[in-house]
Amino acid sequence: MDIVLCAVSAAALDICLLVLIIAAYREKHSEKKSWNKLIHHMELAGPDTVYELGCDEILIGRHASADIRLPDLSVSRYHAMLTVNASGIWTITDIGSKSGLFVNGNLVKKAVLRENDIIGLGNRRLVFRRRGGNGQ
Amino acid sequence: MVNNPIAYLFSCIFVLGAHIAMLANVMLSDGSGGSFVLLAAGVIGLDLVCFTVMPFFRQQSYTIDFMLILVLNMSVIMQSCFGGVGFAVKHWITCIVALGACRVGYLLCRDHKWLEMQKKYYYIGIGVLMLITVLFTGSRSMWINLGENTSIQPSEFIKPLFVLACATSVTEQQKRHRILGFNVVYDNLALFGLTAAICLMQWWCRDLGSLPTFVGIYAAGFLLRICYPKTKFSKKSLVGAGLALALAAVLAVFFAPEYVRERIFSDIWSDTSGNGYQQSKALIAIAEGGWFGKGPTNGFLHEVFAHENDIVFATICEEWGLLFALMTVLALIMMVAVPLISPPRSYFHATMSACVCAAFTVQMALNIFGSCNMIPFTGVTIPFISSGGSSMLVSGLMIGMLSACQSPVFRDPEPFRFNAEAPKRRRRA
Repeated sequence: MDIVLCAVSAAALDICLLVLIIAAYREKHSEKKSWNKLIHHMELAGPDTVYELGCDEILIGRHASADIRLPDLSVSRYHAMLTVNASGIWTITDIGSKSGLFVNGNLVKKAVLRENDIIGLGNRRLVFRRRGGNGQ
Repeated sequence: MVNNPIAYLFSCIFVLGAHIAMLANVMLSDGSGGSFVLLAAGVIGLDLVCFTVMPFFRQQSYTIDFMLILVLNMSVIMQSCFGGVGFAVKHWITCIVALGACRVGYLLCRDHKWLEMQKKYYYIGIGVLMLITVLFTGSRSMWINLGENTSIQPSEFIKPLFVLACATSVTEQQKRHRILGFNVVYDNLALFGLTAAICLMQWWCRDLGSLPTFVGIYAAGFLLRICYPKTKFSKKSLVGAGLALALAAVLAVFFAPEYVRERIFSDIWSDTSGNGYQQSKALIAIAEGGWFGKGPTNGFLHEVFAHENDIVFATICEEWGLLFALMTVLALIMMVAVPLISPPRSYFHATMSACVCAAFTVQMALNIFGSCNMIPFTGVTIPFISSGGSSMLVSGLMIGMLSACQSPVFRDPEPFRFNAEAPKRRRRA
């Protein structure tokens, strides 16, 4: 009898944990939606890759620890940092790169990004665009 | 779940279902006396109140809160059945306090930019608490007695402040200064100094059991600092730090006070009435309980000192079985692992989550492995399962911090301005 009672309790706890984990995964999608709304559904697009902007500070560089990794020797290991403020405005900052940071062809140290701006890091070009856009 | 009431409803039903299954187990094991009715009313009532109040906080995620309610009421049921059904009112009240502390932690820690601006207060707060501990707890204790059966442990309150101190300044890793030929970050030095001071205080107060918790929090914060963009911390330095830590641990074992070395090197089975008393009884109880336990209220471990906190894992194993005890631990692990499912959107919150997870994991490991004689007995509690007011309050606060990481607010910091107009107006009035 004790075995049955304990097994039933453990099974109920097991199912409850499973339900809560499933709910957590479902919440993940709704949380992602509200994040995308905050950042105005922006993303960075390369020639053949699209990079999601998933947190408030995004490091771009050649190093393996960079959030957006560009495996190109013309890109510094830690090249630029993308940050977003509460109004969803993205800013890009040069964090001591060797080849410099370019926005729409202009060499900048720090710049506020607008839709369809072209960011130049070494030989690489990334387009700051709205999600699902065609890029350039 | 804020946009999905069906998921919220299902979560409520299944949490309630898990508690009702446990209560049914208690009822069929020990009959249905007045104490049982009180226990059932307390547990189900607390569940229903929480489910009703929670939506008012408009959180992005409620998963951690549901897991907290699940674990807290499980602990109320388990604590009420040690050696016979009797509603553990004191533990039930501390659970309510923990739930309140969780709300406070959640509301205070949502805005990471505001939290980063309060850095100096964390250091001041820790300093004051350390002073209180040293001055008011006596030379070899961590407790302040407030009267009959009431005491608080001020060092417990250092934990959430220390977590916040570890999480601040992570983004300032680029601001390096050259001192004696070394590149150093002032904040890292300050944090290291603070950690050393806390460790010294723990050593002085003979509470070495809590030391690994603080070291775990610091290690988690330290790793996140290394990982922060552009720290360029060399692998050689990291290996050096690891080796230095290992050497310090070995030296600490050999130069530890006499009573600590006795615990480390003693064989519990040759000293079952002395140093090995609690651990030997705990191991016998785990073995007697087996996979499915003797049934709630049917154990003998409740006669052993600290059965409801220091060796609570063994007490649960004996009465509810190893399977159920492991499931309880799994529930706790899942609660702190929720940030892995939905990672925080800011580096501050990520560091804070890692530090809270480290604290909870180390505490659980110390208690469980200590009960099973795999490491020396430390007397550290399992968060939310063991009884204890200070521990419960602080654990609630820390889980609130974890919950805040799941529903952050991104707000531009407002510069602090001293309102010089107000006193003038008052004078005029």
